[in-house]
Amino acid sequence: MKKFVALVLALAMVLTAASALADLVICQNKVEITAQMEAYAKLYEEKTGVPVKVITGGGSSDYNTVLKSEMASGREPDIWVIEGPSGYELWKDKIADQAGAEWTQYTDAAYMDGDKVVGFPVAVEGYGLAYNKSILDKAGIDPATLTNYDAYAAAFEKLDSMKAELGLDMVVSMVAGTTTGMTWVTGLHNFNVYLTVGNERNDTTYIDQVLEGKVDPERFHQYCQYVALIFKYSDPDMLLNGTQDSQLAAFANGKAAFYHQGNWMDPSLVALNPDFEIAYAPHAFLKEDTDGILVNPPSWYVVNENGNKDEAIAYLNYLATSEDGANYMVNEAAMVPAFTNVTLAPATPLSKSVMEWNAAGKTYDWQQYKLPDGFGMGTLGAIYELFASGAIDVDAFEAMMIEAIAGLAK
Amino acid sequence: MSSKVKRKLTEFLFLLPTLLAFVLVIIIPFILGIYYSFTDWQGTGAVSKMVGFENYAAIFQDAGFLHSFLVTLLFTVLNIITVNVVAFVISLLVTSEIRGRNLYRAGFFVPNLIGGIVLGLVWQFIFSNILPSIGASLGWAGLSKSLISNKDTVMFTMVTVNTWQYAGYIMLIYVASIQGISKSVMEAAEVDGARYWTRVLKIQVPLMANAFTISLFLTLTNSFKMYDVNVALTNGGPISMFMNKPVQASELLALNIYQTAFKYNNMAQGQAKAVIFFVVLTIFSIIQVSWNKSKEVEA
Repeated sequence: MKKFVALVLALAMVLTAASALADLVICQNKVEITAQMEAYAKLYEEKTGVPVKVITGGGSSDYNTVLKSEMASGREPDIWVIEGPSGYELWKDKIADQAGAEWTQYTDAAYMDGDKVVGFPVAVEGYGLAYNKSILDKAGIDPATLTNYDAYAAAFEKLDSMKAELGLDMVVSMVAGTTTGMTWVTGLHNFNVYLTVGNERNDTTYIDQVLEGKVDPERFHQYCQYVALIFKYSDPDMLLNGTQDSQLAAFANGKAAFYHQGNWMDPSLVALNPDFEIAYAPHAFLKEDTDGILVNPPSWYVVNENGNKDEAIAYLNYLATSEDGANYMVNEAAMVPAFTNVTLAPATPLSKSVMEWNAAGKTYDWQQYKLPDGFGMGTLGAIYELFASGAIDVDAFEAMMIEAIAGLAK
Repeated sequence: MSSKVKRKLTEFLFLLPTLLAFVLVIIIPFILGIYYSFTDWQGTGAVSKMVGFENYAAIFQDAGFLHSFLVTLLFTVLNIITVNVVAFVISLLVTSEIRGRNLYRAGFFVPNLIGGIVLGLVWQFIFSNILPSIGASLGWAGLSKSLISNKDTVMFTMVTVNTWQYAGYIMLIYVASIQGISKSVMEAAEVDGARYWTRVLKIQVPLMANAFTISLFLTLTNSFKMYDVNVALTNGGPISMFMNKPVQASELLALNIYQTAFKYNNMAQGQAKAVIFFVVLTIFSIIQVSWNKSKEVEA
């Protein structure tokens, strides 16, 4: 027992010593890039002489526990990660304004609070309808024309009629099942298409309406027709029983022409060795043309007002503007940087496509996370699944969605 | 200090650690839970205001909760029947003269050692992938679709999995009870010319009444509180219609409460549901135990 206590004490001393040595302490949540981030921190120390210590919390809930205990430890991290409004609200009092920092001029994805620039976008993630270029070529469909509802309706119908000769099982690989826990694809990501497509980034017209229990009737009607179109050309069994893996496998094996997922699926996609070209087409659900995919940072670095603020901002500037930083973000950590000055292209297909859309400035915002907890995945997800199962028709779907949204008015 | 008081004090001191643990982890959270059910607490931060019976009133207009309640009752009834019938039959089997009965005993009990989450995921794979592919290759229309994603058959899958897991455990209780019946009683009946099923139904079953009390109580509470298999096997899905609202066809009460509290972050409402859940389960258990107790006989 005594030995054990001594060991714990010694360990604690070593740990304190280690954190006391570091000039910058970063608390971050991406377990999968821990090694890359630590290597980059070492490189940064070699270049600038500023020691950096990286603390990683695994998974999102664990991360918050780790962060809270770091905050309580008396050596608060200088940089940490927030994942959206709830994280920001929690730590608001400690978060520094970085307005005027060099990195801010190369991105429009910073986390803003009014005029304050508070969050450095860790990366961007995006989704649209990923397509199999060789199948589209064989069917004589130019993906560049897929910018409105009618173009999609015609393309889906053509592909559906050529299923046998193209070797397709389904036109769109789409999932909507509660059982397999995939309702975030429908209730959050697909629903966000209604909220933001065609709008300027930061335009909150439709999310504000939804939170007041209202929808724009004409736009919502068109959106429901688009959902009906996707479901009609999906595989009914995949819709209800498809998992993230089976949804991906259908697309990667050339059994589906389109794939409703984001670039976070890249590592799994590459592992399946697809032998065709892949890129994103927009979720163009309106009769009018809309040309852009849905892109947003999943998390932001924030700087501690009471810590080594200047060193921390210098670190972030170096990350965004140096070649070392670009190399780390793109090649080492396999992320899509949110910065327009970074010209390195990712090697994986979905991320590469997101980067191209982002560089072209053709992106729409993510606002689904502003929905109340559980509403998108639970309440709306249930209605999408009901529709996917064929129990209700598109008019009933529209009516039930409107009714569910009206319930938010309270 | 009189010796009587001293004795009482000693008793209390010995009881104290257990009592302390019980109060800390059961009584205090229970009282806090009841308190939260009258507030608008969201799970973090402080309670902003008391709302009286608002949470309780809202529950009775919540189609999802009412549906979960009915589904839980249905699941409980089906599950009590299948678990006990299966457990009783296999307990007769493993107490008979059959060869390898010890192996069977162990075999039937093993599923109970596997965690509900693992079990749920394994069976989800069986129902969603293996059975449909067997059905497709044999050309049976009934099997070619996943039984889990069909709202009419999903309850069957849950009862199957729970029976598979739990019957072995209940079997042990029946086995112990059967072995406790004196051989002479059974032999006397045999000499009197009673056939096998007569002996089982007229002699064994009445003498095992206390085992039935325990087993029915365990299966009742276990089915009512079913959570882990529910989450891993069906996650509450698929979706069906109830009172013109979309509801989760296989979402049992415990899962409904969890979703309310943690998915919708409506902690106070979840607490109110949990209080109702507690009251209903207590009433059902008391009725069941007192009914079963009245059937117990001594031999």
